[in-house]
Amino acid sequence: MCIITVLLILISLMDGRRANELRKIKCKPSVLSQADGSAYIEQGNTKCLAAVYGPRETRQKAQLIHNKANINVEISLAPFSMPQERKKRSKSDRRLLEIASAVKQTFEPIIMTNLFARSQIDIYLQILQFDGGTIQICINAATLALIDAGIPMQEYVCACSAGCHENHTLLDLNNAEEMADTPELTVALLPMSGKLTLLQMDSRLHVDKLEPVMNLAALGCKEIYQTLDETVREYVKDLFQKSSPY
Amino acid sequence: MVKNSLAFEAETFRKIQPQEYLRRFIQGNIRPDGRSLSQFRPTTVNQSCITTTNGSSMVRIGNTTVVCGIKAEVATPKFNSPLEGYLVPNIDLSPICSPKFKPGPPGELAQVLSENLNNLLKSASVLDLTSLCIKEGIAVWVLYIDLVCVNYDGNIYDASVIGMITALTNVKLPEATFEESSGLVKATEELSVTLKLQRIPYSVTVALFDGQHLLVDPTEVEESITSEQITIVFDEVGQLCSIWKVGGLPSSPEHLKQCMNIARERYKQISMIVKSSI
Repeated sequence: MCIITVLLILISLMDGRRANELRKIKCKPSVLSQADGSAYIEQGNTKCLAAVYGPRETRQKAQLIHNKANINVEISLAPFSMPQERKKRSKSDRRLLEIASAVKQTFEPIIMTNLFARSQIDIYLQILQFDGGTIQICINAATLALIDAGIPMQEYVCACSAGCHENHTLLDLNNAEEMADTPELTVALLPMSGKLTLLQMDSRLHVDKLEPVMNLAALGCKEIYQTLDETVREYVKDLFQKSSPY
Repeated sequence: MVKNSLAFEAETFRKIQPQEYLRRFIQGNIRPDGRSLSQFRPTTVNQSCITTTNGSSMVRIGNTTVVCGIKAEVATPKFNSPLEGYLVPNIDLSPICSPKFKPGPPGELAQVLSENLNNLLKSASVLDLTSLCIKEGIAVWVLYIDLVCVNYDGNIYDASVIGMITALTNVKLPEATFEESSGLVKATEELSVTLKLQRIPYSVTVALFDGQHLLVDPTEVEESITSEQITIVFDEVGQLCSIWKVGGLPSSPEHLKQCMNIARERYKQISMIVKSSI
């Protein structure tokens, strides 16, 4: 037990972050020319690329929904992205399918699918480098890519993870912190209305600690929202200036 | 310009008659994206961009973007070559890079490209495989060269070759020794061993339009209209490593000569770009 404590303290020193500090975020919309919308996000050492195609015709008739758009999410992990060994995770890997399903269900009520009946919106996520926080970076990248594609949504969706160790709440866990058995809670929030869309935790957490950890994660989401919104506004300003004839 | 009685808007014309659209541009010695027939798109290379790999690179030729990551593992060598390690290239063309790729197992293009990259590494003897040996007959390094295309806009082969070679040049391996007593391979924490490439090949792809016009570095649209493509690979001493022209209309030896000259010139360009990216 004390080894883990020492390890965690060492890790946060190595990382250079305080307990409630987010990892450094770098994001850029519209990085791919073939996709209708795309985004690249780096949260600490985790790098993710998102591409959105749509609304377009459904590939299979069975997936056609008569009164709204079908949303399809596919996540793939590059074989060289894992820090230890090379893992060729096929796209039908259970863990990836589970995360893809979570992302799909998060966005289904947010995207105004009733505007595009009988069509399909494909969200492809490619993780190039992995250092913890898969679901959160996938959701953040998808939000930015959907905005870039011009697909109408009710709000941004921002996600963040938080954990708890020895009465210290930690924000935005990286791979080492996740592996060290700390309970990890991932939260996806609609930042303007403050509503929760996703809440996921797969470890033991004392019920008293739930509220502070959830609040910390929500604060993290709001901070991520600030960064994403700033990026989008900068990008649109830039586009506007370039497209203006003067 | 010839004016037809039915005048179309440029966009409509491009969709209905893509070949005729391209022909009109070429008559004026220019291409739809503003390049001349022998001009390459701006190429950038980023080395060592993925820290979870032993070696990596990201290459952009125009909009075509390929990320290459190399991971090293220990494996037993083949029975008939106990001193040689392996290089396993594999390219992944997934729906993220273009709407023309469907989800599922690797399609024909991805498999053909992977095989071509493999052949290039073998036939050009890019790396002396005995340098990957840890213990004869027992343990060797295997380098998995994984290429992920994130944006497909034509000329994927050139981008992949540059990506693969530059990633190989920045590979860092630990020092590995075989312990007789335990039968295990022990490796140092520090990554200090680099690879020495015997040859550095770079490729140039040219599309042939209408049987006479050579379009250097074709975009995806140009690739889909032309049916002939010639790929030529040269190495650093000006030796030819491979030529690949499959099917399409037969082309004259004149075209091949022109392509070889273009390839030689382009090699110097690529070398400079790669050198400045370190």
